[in-house]
Amino acid sequence: MFGTERSAELLHEIHSAVRALEAARIPNVEDVVPAYLALTVFYDSLRVSYREISAALLAACDRVSDFGKGPTPRTHRIPVRYDGPDLDFVATSTGLSVDEVVARHSGRSYTVDLLGFVPGFGYLGELDPALHLPRRAAPRPRVVAGSVAIAAAQTAVYPLDTPGGWHIIGLMQTVMFDPTRSPPALLAPGDTVKFERVQ
Amino acid sequence: MITITRVPPYLTVQNGGRRNSRSLGVPRGGAMDLFAIRAVNAIVGNSLEAAALEWALGGGAVRFERDCVVAIGGATARATLGGRIVPPCTASYARAGDELVVDQLTSGRFLYLACDGGIDVPILLGSRCTYLPGRFGGYEGRTLRSGDTVKLGERPFSRPAAGFHSGADLMPRYDSEIVHVTRGTQADLFDESDWRTLTESDYRISMASDRSGYKLEGPAIRNSLGMLPSEAGCPGAIQIPGDGLPIALMADAPTVGGYPKIAVISEADLPILAQRRPGESIRFQLITIEQSQRALKRRGSDMLTISQLASRS
Repeated sequence: MFGTERSAELLHEIHSAVRALEAARIPNVEDVVPAYLALTVFYDSLRVSYREISAALLAACDRVSDFGKGPTPRTHRIPVRYDGPDLDFVATSTGLSVDEVVARHSGRSYTVDLLGFVPGFGYLGELDPALHLPRRAAPRPRVVAGSVAIAAAQTAVYPLDTPGGWHIIGLMQTVMFDPTRSPPALLAPGDTVKFERVQ
Repeated sequence: MITITRVPPYLTVQNGGRRNSRSLGVPRGGAMDLFAIRAVNAIVGNSLEAAALEWALGGGAVRFERDCVVAIGGATARATLGGRIVPPCTASYARAGDELVVDQLTSGRFLYLACDGGIDVPILLGSRCTYLPGRFGGYEGRTLRSGDTVKLGERPFSRPAAGFHSGADLMPRYDSEIVHVTRGTQADLFDESDWRTLTESDYRISMASDRSGYKLEGPAIRNSLGMLPSEAGCPGAIQIPGDGLPIALMADAPTVGGYPKIAVISEADLPILAQRRPGESIRFQLITIEQSQRALKRRGSDMLTISQLASRS
């Protein structure tokens, strides 16, 4: 746990710690998962105790003096057809016209906060405050791959068919995840995403 | 090579799952019952992480195209090999052309079939396991079909004696009514009465349960917490969504999520829950992390015993 309030600084600190842990290649660490407030480490508890692994993890984080140096962020332009099933609902709920919803969604750049949920799913922020809506009361059992969706202060693209509770406003065709590609995920934390309206 | 002659309703290639990919959103995945898949691998002389078949929902048949040592375990099945009965967790020698016929799964949910040499499918993101939602891994990222042939790896140098059997005392007690849990990351956000509800009620596995999670039916647990900022989950974590009915995350669970996690199923007992069918029940009992780690160490030493007995048989 790094903090209790979401912030860009906290997220930066957490991603830097991930890089430090990856660079340290600590034995028996099986996975490192960054999120908004916490960094979770999975380890082989049959081979190493909680006390030992904690000491090794903390030491690795301490050894890195500059947390800031990550890979150079990239900018991705993703063409979107804005005709999602929830577009009218979003317009009605926000009191905006459909065109205004589209203009506000495609009118700004988003930062990739983190990848998670399903392969290649990027949590993107920060959405125009006028578009903030809570998630759907009942998640859809199936959201089709390529759906562009919004919820609260975030927007995202569904890389594969999955259940989902966000409001779907559009569809895109960019391949977000390919396990045979290197790197497999199109997006990386810190990257910038711009959505471009297409008919 | 193995040919699927009559495919069961569900059949995939699995192994111990993926590492170091969760930060891309790729779940650990792998076998639902990690103990059973490793046990059948050990019995046929494979590495514990070799790929095997995960079989569920009904009977079917496969044909071995070369001589091999095979073992089944996990769910209980009525099965024959070349007409002879196949006991569970036992090394059986199949001759090229022999057919393994599973009549039906009599109890439990996931049956594992290991062959010496393991299933040889391409390694993707460090593993041979199948991730069905992403349509990748295993055999073309999908469930197997009748007529498919899967390759087998090179046979290990040492082979266990035919009839080598791993005793039931070395396997998890699958009929146990109790599944042990430790406190989850948001345990403190739930009060005494929530904990009493969780640990003193019978929870039934819902029909809405699959490789990503088991929805549990029983008394609801209050969730006034709503959604929290997303954080990592893991197989075994018990999250409480808005309707108060717990969801136990399983092998293909999302890597991160926002529902509060009241408890985590002890890794040693996760196979017991994994093998429960919809409609069957379990009861949770709270233990400490130290007790949970001791239980896991016992499972680890039981697995080592199985491997050593197999290699000496």
